[in-house]
Amino acid sequence: MRIRFTFWLVVLLVIPAPLFATMQDETDVDVQVREIAKTLRCTVCQTENIWESGAPLAQQMRGVIRERIALGHSTEEIRAYFLSRYGDYILMEPPKHGVNWFIWVAPFLLLLVGGFFLYKEVTHWVRDTPTPPNQPTPPLDDQARKRIERELES
Amino acid sequence: MTKGWQLTLILTLLGLFALFYQGLWGDPRHIPTVLIETEAPNFEGPDVETGQTISLDQFKGKVVLLNFWASWCYECKVEHESILRLHQLFKDNPDFVMLGVNYQDELPDAQQYLQQYGSTFSHVRDLKGQLAIDYGVYGVPETFVIDQQGKIRHKWVGPITGEVYTNITQKVIAPLLNGQSTPTTS
Repeated sequence: MRIRFTFWLVVLLVIPAPLFATMQDETDVDVQVREIAKTLRCTVCQTENIWESGAPLAQQMRGVIRERIALGHSTEEIRAYFLSRYGDYILMEPPKHGVNWFIWVAPFLLLLVGGFFLYKEVTHWVRDTPTPPNQPTPPLDDQARKRIERELES
Repeated sequence: MTKGWQLTLILTLLGLFALFYQGLWGDPRHIPTVLIETEAPNFEGPDVETGQTISLDQFKGKVVLLNFWASWCYECKVEHESILRLHQLFKDNPDFVMLGVNYQDELPDAQQYLQQYGSTFSHVRDLKGQLAIDYGVYGVPETFVIDQQGKIRHKWVGPITGEVYTNITQKVIAPLLNGQSTPTTS
């Protein structure tokens, strides 16, 4: 009991208090900003979303999202606004339409085609490998028989 | 593997290689614009030098060249002379207006920059970055040409120098001022 109490006491002391403060202070608007920002690509860094990016433009974009939420815009309206300014590129996930379908399907297609070729090649090898003719095992000569008997006895 | 399959495999690999090769030479940072032929978003902001409010609506019916720049941007310095030359070329035409948009900058730095490198036209401050986002800007310098009907007809990412300068003056602005339709470009 005492050990468990000490353990939790240590855990609470080790975890920094601001972590709890941040968790408690996050409002519904913050959550919505985060959810939207995570789906939009930072046009400066290009590999990060605007929630994670430290670029000033990403910071300004987060500000724009917050302002639009305050004006009562829905998540879809805000995403549509950024899409209208930067095109498909702004979305972390390419939208599933037109040529973009290729991006979604290509990995699976390549896997299937690769698997098919591998299957064809392996069956080819198996078919073409010559199997040794089924011959009777040659009888043991006296010398070999004596050696085996010796090995078994020892 | 039959000859047909071998050929398909070789062609697929060649196609992938061609895509890879093309990707090597393209600018990976270039984001194709979706704003060409759309209505230019209106904006309002303080003039960098005078503090007076400038809005795009003031220039309805004119060809507007909008140039996004910042004092910390090296390429903006590279193109500055050409930008001033471009203004000099068209400034006497009453149907032409040139506006600078100061992007992600501190006011004293922007003012000092204009004093040092020269300024012959007005510059709006983009205080919160909203103007840049409205125009789909992701770096500076970026330049837009807006026609008399208020539509974006041309966008260029990078400095306006050399061939780019010739193209924008002769193939974009001059035909628009002469009332000719120009091919929309980005």
